[in-house]
Amino acid sequence: MMGDSYNSTTTPEVISLIDDVLGTLADTINSGEFPEIGYYGSSKKNVEWSENGYEPVNAVPSFVDGRKVESAKTIAGLVYGLTCFKEHLEQKMSMSLRDFYYMHKVKRVQEVLEINGQNETNRLINLCERILKIQGTSVPREEFGVVSSPKGTFYGDVTLSDLSGKQLNCSGAGEYGWFISSRPFDVKIHDINIDAAIFVEKEAMARNLIELKLPETLKIGVGSLFGQPGRNMRAWIRRLADNDVPILVLVDMSPWSLRIFSTIKSNSIELSNIRGLATPSTKLLGLTTTDFWRKNGMLTAIEHSLEDMSKSDLKCAQQNRKIPAISEDPILRKENEALIKKRKKGELEAFKAFGLPLTSLRNLYIEYIKRKSRGFDVKLI
Amino acid sequence: MQSLRHSDSDVVELSVSAWFYRNRTIAGFDNPARSLYVSVRELVENSLDACEGAGVLPEVRVSLQHVKMDSSEAEGMPRGPQVFRLRIQDNGSGIRREDAPRLLGRMLTGTKFTLKQSRGTFGLGGSLALLYGQITTQKPIEITSGRCGEETKHKIVMRLDIENNEPILIHEEQRPKNPEEHGTTIEYYLQGDWFRSKRRITEYFLQTSMIVPYASMLFNNPDGESLQLPRVIEMLPQQPKEAKPHPRGIDVEMLKRMIKESRRSTLKSFLKGSFQRVGESTAEKFLASAGLDPAAAPKALSNENLVHMMKKLETYSGFLAPSSKSLSPAGLDVLEAGIKRLKPEFVVVRQRLPSVYEGHPFIVESGVSYGGELAPGIRLYRFANRIPLLYDERTDVSSQVIRELNLKNYGLHQNDPLAFFVHICSTKIPYKTVGKEFIGDIDVIRREIDLGLKDCLRRLGEGVRRKRRVHQLKRRESKLIGYYEFIAETLSTATDQEVSLVNLLGN
Repeated sequence: MMGDSYNSTTTPEVISLIDDVLGTLADTINSGEFPEIGYYGSSKKNVEWSENGYEPVNAVPSFVDGRKVESAKTIAGLVYGLTCFKEHLEQKMSMSLRDFYYMHKVKRVQEVLEINGQNETNRLINLCERILKIQGTSVPREEFGVVSSPKGTFYGDVTLSDLSGKQLNCSGAGEYGWFISSRPFDVKIHDINIDAAIFVEKEAMARNLIELKLPETLKIGVGSLFGQPGRNMRAWIRRLADNDVPILVLVDMSPWSLRIFSTIKSNSIELSNIRGLATPSTKLLGLTTTDFWRKNGMLTAIEHSLEDMSKSDLKCAQQNRKIPAISEDPILRKENEALIKKRKKGELEAFKAFGLPLTSLRNLYIEYIKRKSRGFDVKLI
Repeated sequence: MQSLRHSDSDVVELSVSAWFYRNRTIAGFDNPARSLYVSVRELVENSLDACEGAGVLPEVRVSLQHVKMDSSEAEGMPRGPQVFRLRIQDNGSGIRREDAPRLLGRMLTGTKFTLKQSRGTFGLGGSLALLYGQITTQKPIEITSGRCGEETKHKIVMRLDIENNEPILIHEEQRPKNPEEHGTTIEYYLQGDWFRSKRRITEYFLQTSMIVPYASMLFNNPDGESLQLPRVIEMLPQQPKEAKPHPRGIDVEMLKRMIKESRRSTLKSFLKGSFQRVGESTAEKFLASAGLDPAAAPKALSNENLVHMMKKLETYSGFLAPSSKSLSPAGLDVLEAGIKRLKPEFVVVRQRLPSVYEGHPFIVESGVSYGGELAPGIRLYRFANRIPLLYDERTDVSSQVIRELNLKNYGLHQNDPLAFFVHICSTKIPYKTVGKEFIGDIDVIRREIDLGLKDCLRRLGEGVRRKRRVHQLKRRESKLIGYYEFIAETLSTATDQEVSLVNLLGN
């Protein structure tokens, strides 16, 4: 079963929501009362992990109490931020986190709020997401015009129109395919002609797969995560999954990559209030510990290519034991424990250690992807 | 021992003066800069002692003037030592005509060889300063002194005979004066290096004025500048009383001398009569525990017996603590007045109860000041028997105590404008070196300083915290208002309606 998906709100809805909040604050102050704002913070107590990813449970509310100096500053920041968002929405403009930070350098604002670095303004945006809710669901920052730097590409036979309004096919949009929109919720998907989508941690590997024409051969989409995927990439993956495309993820065999996979699958504690970022049906295609260490594993021949885990790798693996999305997921827990036991890590580049001519390497990739996805009941031609 | 005799061709016996002449570095006369500083200091201290001894509020005028010996001396930085004329005038009781040459012209004579708190320890600082002047300039010394009630003052011009430790009179005259007038003026020449001692000497006057705020001091320096330090409090500290030695504060040599000077015929009466805090029963109990016959004649004791008795004196635990009547602490009012010369915002002073180390009584007075015109950071002012200690601060016991203080406990910080004051008075200050610049780390003294300063800090911390709280409250309030003004303004523009703070904050 899938978690709630996010139903995109319209800009007028967001503007009227902002007006409501500002109006309420104005009324409260006019009536002589200090404003107080309640919200649910991102502590572990407010989040629960299940098969569907992290879910907000809203157990312990936090309050911004306008009688306190620090809280008054937060409210002042909030009021200013909301008016900025409203103005941008009305002008159909977007802003980056850095833009928002610089809006606090307007002299009269700077003098009062004395903002000390971008962390402070980032926190304000996070707070806005927690306070602005429509039917109990947080409004993601993208909806009020704040766009975190988009990251990630997608190649494959999918036809869509993004915010530019132009219709395009993701296999005809450049060497990496389509650069994923900053607001995937608002992308219109017209046609999907793939049997699965593979998202690859490293862009070099993704490019190789595209260069070897695997998307055409296997009828798959290939996405490049560029490391830890951004919010836009996670939302895009979810959009594909909601359209019944099986999602497969190809990452390194390391504790860090388990985290990358877990954020795609379960979202993160920090952003659990934002719906539509988790894709619980995601499958870990590879590289898995069984590839190297099980008798009939596909990569046993290059087991010698594994590298020792560094101190920070080991520390990361230890900490993974405390992350619910890894420690409570049977597959990820097993992977993590195997890594701790063997103290070795593997990388996607390991395929090159076979030393095969390109045609054979291509066949190996195809064989690997086909065999591993068959294990998840995903049949590729 | 006061003359130079050739008892054998190789064996030379030195007079006290000659010995000090050859070893003057141990008293601080090692280079022209330091010598100038020590000379000023020794004579100022003699003057202060004279005034306090006479029970008058001290007025000390010091003038140090450069004497051009050679017309070719260029302006600017001096090449080597120069000659100065030092003149020190006080309003003490004055010196009797017949005592004057002996008191000033001879080493180891003076009024300081009794057991009470006094500034000097050797009793030769002043004489040595004069001796140093004579050695370096070969010029005579001029002393003018008059006593209260007398119609004339006398002026003596003299020289010191180093080999024989005797003064040589050159000239003498009487001058009429007002009977009310009293005091002594000493004028003489000495070699020195003002350029390298200016900072020290100026600092010495400034700090002296803090521990002796009841003195009025004037210092005219060779640069033509005048440092005026008027008195800020009309009150002399209680004068110390002379006391007999305490049994724990002597050694065998001293014991021998006391026995020699005593006319008592039995050990018991000797103990009773020659020591402080020893009465009938203490004397009996001590002698019993030491296994000595109370009826024995003290003068008949053998050397071994004396050593044995001394050992027992050192270890016997039944003596009462020495009396603190021989001490003269500055007192809280005087100390506070002195510290206020720095114009701080807060001053806290404390006086510890008398305590004892090695048979010597001592009292620690402490003070901490904060804010006002004090510079940020910690400063320490150390005083011993009303003398400022200017050098070797880091090795002093007080510095060690301060280094170990945890200022956070008192709501203070290393960079706060803080000044610490420690005044130790004792019949014997445990200086670590002959330079008399720092005090050794003696457990009981360290403890007293520690407790004294902590007591001050507790009180000061409360004051500072209260002040900060009020300040912070005000700041928070003005910030809160600032935020709400901003909120109201922003909301008014965004919602197109008047948002007023009248109901929320009033006005």
